[in-house]
Amino acid sequence: MPGTSIVEDIELIIEDIGGGGGKNPPPGGDDGDEGGKRRGPQVPSSRRYATAIVVAIVSIVMFFMAMASAFLYTRANSNRWVPLHLPSVIWFNTAVLLLSSGAMELSRRRLSLGEVRQFRKLWFAATALGFLFLAGQLVAWRQFILAGFYVSTNQASSFFYIFTGLHGLHLLGGICALLYVSFRKFEKAKVSRTVAAEVTSYYWHFMDGLWIFLLALLYLGK
Amino acid sequence: MTSWMVTYDNSGGAAPEAPTPGFLARTLFNTGHKVIGLRYLWLALGSVLLGMFLSLLMRIHLVWPGAQIPFLSGFGSTPERYTALTIFHGSLMVFFVLTTAPQAGLGNYFLPLQIGAREMAFPALNLISFWATAASLGGMTAAFFVQPDAGLTLWTASVALFCFAALLTALNFTVTTLDLRAKGMTLPRMPLTVWAWFINAMLSMLIFSILLAVCVFLLSDRLLASQFFSPLTFLSNQPVALAQSTMLSLWQRLFWFFAQAEVYVAMLPCFGIVSHLLSTFSQKPVWAERAAVLALCGVGLCGFFVWGQHMFSSGLNPWSPLVFSLLASSLGLPACVLVLSWFGTLWNAKIQLNTAMLFVLGFVSLFLAGGVSGLFLARNDLAIASISDDFVTGHFHLVMGVAATFAILGALFFWFPKMFARRLNETLGKLHFWLTFAGVFCVFMPMHWLGLMAHLHPAGGDALEITPLGASLRTFVTFATILTVAAQALFLLNFVWSLWQGERTDDRNPWRATTLEWSVPSPPPDNNFGVIEPVVYRGAYEFSGTGAAVDLEPQNAAPPASERASQLKPAAEARAKEC
Repeated sequence: MPGTSIVEDIELIIEDIGGGGGKNPPPGGDDGDEGGKRRGPQVPSSRRYATAIVVAIVSIVMFFMAMASAFLYTRANSNRWVPLHLPSVIWFNTAVLLLSSGAMELSRRRLSLGEVRQFRKLWFAATALGFLFLAGQLVAWRQFILAGFYVSTNQASSFFYIFTGLHGLHLLGGICALLYVSFRKFEKAKVSRTVAAEVTSYYWHFMDGLWIFLLALLYLGK
Repeated sequence: MTSWMVTYDNSGGAAPEAPTPGFLARTLFNTGHKVIGLRYLWLALGSVLLGMFLSLLMRIHLVWPGAQIPFLSGFGSTPERYTALTIFHGSLMVFFVLTTAPQAGLGNYFLPLQIGAREMAFPALNLISFWATAASLGGMTAAFFVQPDAGLTLWTASVALFCFAALLTALNFTVTTLDLRAKGMTLPRMPLTVWAWFINAMLSMLIFSILLAVCVFLLSDRLLASQFFSPLTFLSNQPVALAQSTMLSLWQRLFWFFAQAEVYVAMLPCFGIVSHLLSTFSQKPVWAERAAVLALCGVGLCGFFVWGQHMFSSGLNPWSPLVFSLLASSLGLPACVLVLSWFGTLWNAKIQLNTAMLFVLGFVSLFLAGGVSGLFLARNDLAIASISDDFVTGHFHLVMGVAATFAILGALFFWFPKMFARRLNETLGKLHFWLTFAGVFCVFMPMHWLGLMAHLHPAGGDALEITPLGASLRTFVTFATILTVAAQALFLLNFVWSLWQGERTDDRNPWRATTLEWSVPSPPPDNNFGVIEPVVYRGAYEFSGTGAAVDLEPQNAAPPASERASQLKPAAEARAKEC
């Protein structure tokens, strides 16, 4: 059995073959796992989390695209389309969500500088703004109901509730991730705080962009 | 163990001590990829038996509407119950057999093994995905027995749950393939099975989110009285032209966007399995391997764009049928590349004609036979002419349903020794193969004929009432169905008997295959490769095909010393420079 027992030998060859997947992250990288004691077989690389969130985002995009295409199709072909008047609080909510994204970016910058206390404060601000957005969306529903628009009132109102509702549900998942980053003790976790914050931020900014898209759809397509 | 094999096991050193998991962690909440893969296979086996039984019931009621079968007739004697039978049969077969078995079942078990990983990327998600699938199966079964209205709501919710599970599985497969490959397992070195699972996972990722969105719309319509498809019920009572022009079309678009691509979700892993098995049993490399990989990508890509071919007569823009027709026909190109690659692999090979190989060859035969009738259906003018449902039913059962089942059976015969360290019985297997092979052709070929006969009587109405020939064809199909279903008892007998009493295989690699799963003991240990990291040095199909004693190179066999020295030289020089 040539080769299998001489580990250094194999590693030399691998460097030359230019190994494919399973590349370890560069030494001194950002993954907490790379610390000496867990260096057993196959150290879980942090890259999988970033890959997973990108793939998941693609899937969520398809989910909302199906709904957006249904919206556009119904809008173009229905003869009983009633235009929609968006509740005014929705513009305030949009500003809140954008601020939340900004706070998160500032917070990550603090983390990369090693200022964990500042990071925590800003991260908390981003989380609070996320909650504020959700509360604002509920107020928007309330305003909409007071104006006499229910889910079943007309096609446009059905789309309004399903878009805001499903976006809110996805955003709630994002808030859970934000809280995870805030409260998890990362000394014991499989993933480092930097990676968790980065992956969460991808999703959070995506939620931001998705909301702008849905809002533009509802506003321009009314 | 033969001398040319490089193997992994625990004998080399002490494995790291792991705490013994508790009872629940070992049973219900076991996150091991092999355990979950096997459970998916059991789930699929149960579903396929139930689904087959339902089709038998349908055929019997179709020919003898008045037949009274004790206990069972209550489920299928009225028109509504017959529709429920059809829905239940289709859901079981498409979701829990064709989607689940080749991808989630075999893929979960063998993808990590073949790429040299110890586990899937997210074992907990994998576990959630399995139980969601099982719950969805339970929900659909329950939906069959309750009132039609509540049943449909429950059925829709079950489909949504299944989509969620399929999305999690697809996420897991994609990330595992991208990030967990062993050292040296570059993309071109991946076995074609892994390629197929990977492409399929990406396709699933895209289309199951569409179906999930549709299910959310439907559920919202049913439970919250929203107005996405609700005019559908209103319009179904209106003249056909009006109904087609508006809301119905939205539902069709969204549904076929998923459903047409779903066909390729069922087929892609089977293509991978067939290429892999043909190469192994021919002891020859996959012919034009790179082209076959590109063809797999092409099937995934084209499959995504041909949804419109189901809507030629639904009031699309007059130009779009032409585009979709061209796209649907262009699917023939990657399909031809795959078929050529299979024949090229078989060309001049010393074929081992065992049961696994027979099933794979059966797949090629069925795929070709069914594919030819697909060419008719891809033409937009023929769809407008009234080819009846029977033609379509015959077409997709041959090319999708039965062909995929043959590939799954072939894979089962191939990997059974790895999973259970026993072989399935060859004699019973071959008998089962020939009976099934003849049976499915007898069932589905006459269906094409029936479909064309309806075309001769465009006034509509049932072929049964019009021609005595149609009636006798239907009776023939029903008898063929009964015999084919009965023949499956042979497989069940073989499977159960071999699990406990089958011939033991001590050899890790009974088929002389090259991929990594054959370098570990059977069944593979918990962490797959023991203490040593698997390392890959070469492509997946390095058979020399010369018939020499050692005519294949396993993927993990290190190159000979002379080659190694030449490879090491530049590295050594670089190191010397650094010093």
